[in-house]
Amino acid sequence: MSTNTNELLEIRNLRTSFRIKDTYYPAVDNVSLTLRKNEILAIVGESGCGKSTLATSIVGLHNSINTKVEGEILYNNQNLVNLTDTQFNKLRGNDIGFIFQDPLSALNPLMRIGEQIEEGLVYHTKLNKTQRENRVLELLDQVGIPNVQRVAKQFPHQLSGGMRQRVMIAIALSGKPAIIIADEPTTALDVTIQAQILDLLKTLQDEIQSGIILITHDLGVVAEVADRVAVMYAGEVIEEASVVELFRNPKHPYTRSLLKSIPQTNSENEQLEVIQGMVPSLVKLPRQGCRFSSRIPWIPQSAHEENPELHEVAPGHLVRCTCWKEFHFEDEEGSVNQ
Amino acid sequence: MENNNAQTVDKLESQSSPPTGIQVILREFKKDKLAMFSLIGVILLIVTVMVLAVVIDQAKIMNIQLLERFTEPGVRGYILGADEAGRDMFGQLIIGAKNSILIAIAITILANFVGIALGIIMGYYGGFIDNFFMRIIDFFITLPTLMIIIVVITIIPSYGIMDLILIIAAFQWMSTARLVRSKALSEARRDYISASKTMGTSDFAIMFKGLLPNLSSLLIVEVTLSFAGNVGIETGLSFLGFGLPPSTPSLGTLVSYAMNPIILSSKWWIWLPASLLILIMMLGINYVGQALRRAADAKQRLG
Repeated sequence: MSTNTNELLEIRNLRTSFRIKDTYYPAVDNVSLTLRKNEILAIVGESGCGKSTLATSIVGLHNSINTKVEGEILYNNQNLVNLTDTQFNKLRGNDIGFIFQDPLSALNPLMRIGEQIEEGLVYHTKLNKTQRENRVLELLDQVGIPNVQRVAKQFPHQLSGGMRQRVMIAIALSGKPAIIIADEPTTALDVTIQAQILDLLKTLQDEIQSGIILITHDLGVVAEVADRVAVMYAGEVIEEASVVELFRNPKHPYTRSLLKSIPQTNSENEQLEVIQGMVPSLVKLPRQGCRFSSRIPWIPQSAHEENPELHEVAPGHLVRCTCWKEFHFEDEEGSVNQ
Repeated sequence: MENNNAQTVDKLESQSSPPTGIQVILREFKKDKLAMFSLIGVILLIVTVMVLAVVIDQAKIMNIQLLERFTEPGVRGYILGADEAGRDMFGQLIIGAKNSILIAIAITILANFVGIALGIIMGYYGGFIDNFFMRIIDFFITLPTLMIIIVVITIIPSYGIMDLILIIAAFQWMSTARLVRSKALSEARRDYISASKTMGTSDFAIMFKGLLPNLSSLLIVEVTLSFAGNVGIETGLSFLGFGLPPSTPSLGTLVSYAMNPIILSSKWWIWLPASLLILIMMLGINYVGQALRRAADAKQRLG
């Protein structure tokens, strides 16, 4: 589909495990993903499926005391997994920007907005004080904040949620990073602001041509901005495809159930579709067989693979396990072959 | 017109923005008259003592003049009388208070500096570093501090003000370290610390530029109250005869004259002023500390 030169970030067999009572349990299990230049890769899945763990693994935010990160995250021929903090600090903020979910808690309450944006510039650029200040105002202007002079002198609690998230984006953009990781950037915002923030992200991406990993559980957001989608369930990528392909032709039972459970305003059925059961906890998760099988018990075990792998069902469209071939929703009769 | 609008906006802004930092503390003091009174009192006291101590000639005051033995207050220019050796009590009080206050300030700075730095490092890194230092602190806390200070002072052949400061400070940093560590532990797991990390900020900068200001409300209270405590420890040691050498007056040595029953019963001017000064200063600092503590906690604030 694309040449290797466009590949920005390559994640290979990443496994991030948390220690619970002396045993390590992988929360992200054998994930391989590629992020290309000027692309928005969305990672979707329900709470607890390992989306955020994946994101924090990329920027090395995990505490080495109780977390183990294995595998490879390749960026510029460097494996980010093995970097020391000092080496990582040269990349973070400069090559990789990170946007947090809750902008209020991700901004230092006792630091002025201007200072917080300036922080990255101090470490990664040789600009002097006045140049940095001008750059801060420029960045604030870029993310669509009015009255930049005043906002730069304000504290986070004096701004609204949408403004704060814009500030977060300005901080992430300050080093003109090649990769931006946005961990549920719109979850803490109301719907109208969500749209503005997403538009902003997209516009800014066009300007600086960076790759964005967008982590979200909102399929509406995915449809709006993403180029490619990876669906995660219980720590694994279970389906990966371009956004058009995924919405037109979802294969994996989990993806199909997710799409079916989006509330629709025009549907006659007033009951919201739900996926029965819950994501199994990290400790109880079956490490063998199809991890989704316990939530679709009406599908016979024989439909699942013993060790489910990603199969390419169409160019660029990967699906884990074979159960999708026999999958049908519980209220439907018989199998629906796609 | 444009200019006018901008002015109105600025005006509204200043009215609507919630009070921060110093403003909150000021409001608290305005509401609490006793704390305000104490604050002014303590500052006045310290400033007066410091200024007078510069003016007063210490050598002259410490001269023994047997003719002036036990001169009563107000007689022959002795505002607070004279002691057994005819030395001016008022001058001794000022110099003693200066010594006590300076020692307490030095101990407070030293002990809190170590305590805060260590507490933040423990809280930020957690894990092994935290465990290691916590066990050391646990060990120190089980020790009978006062006894050990006394023993150390007895062992050291000749000691001066600096030694005393170092010895006391060596046993005073633990409680601050523990307090700061517990707060830093929760604060360091907050998102803004991670956000700072994703900007490539070094651990050192995160700890002391990002984290430290967020502990400031706790620290102001801790430092104020530990200052009062340190005045108490120094005077206590001097009172017991293990603080400053007798030739250097401190509030403790002045109070310790009261150990002589004759002085205690009939020569009140020798020990009472120093005792009252200690009492007033401690009370004042504690009231100020209380007000600061309330200011740091939105639920308890009066203003």
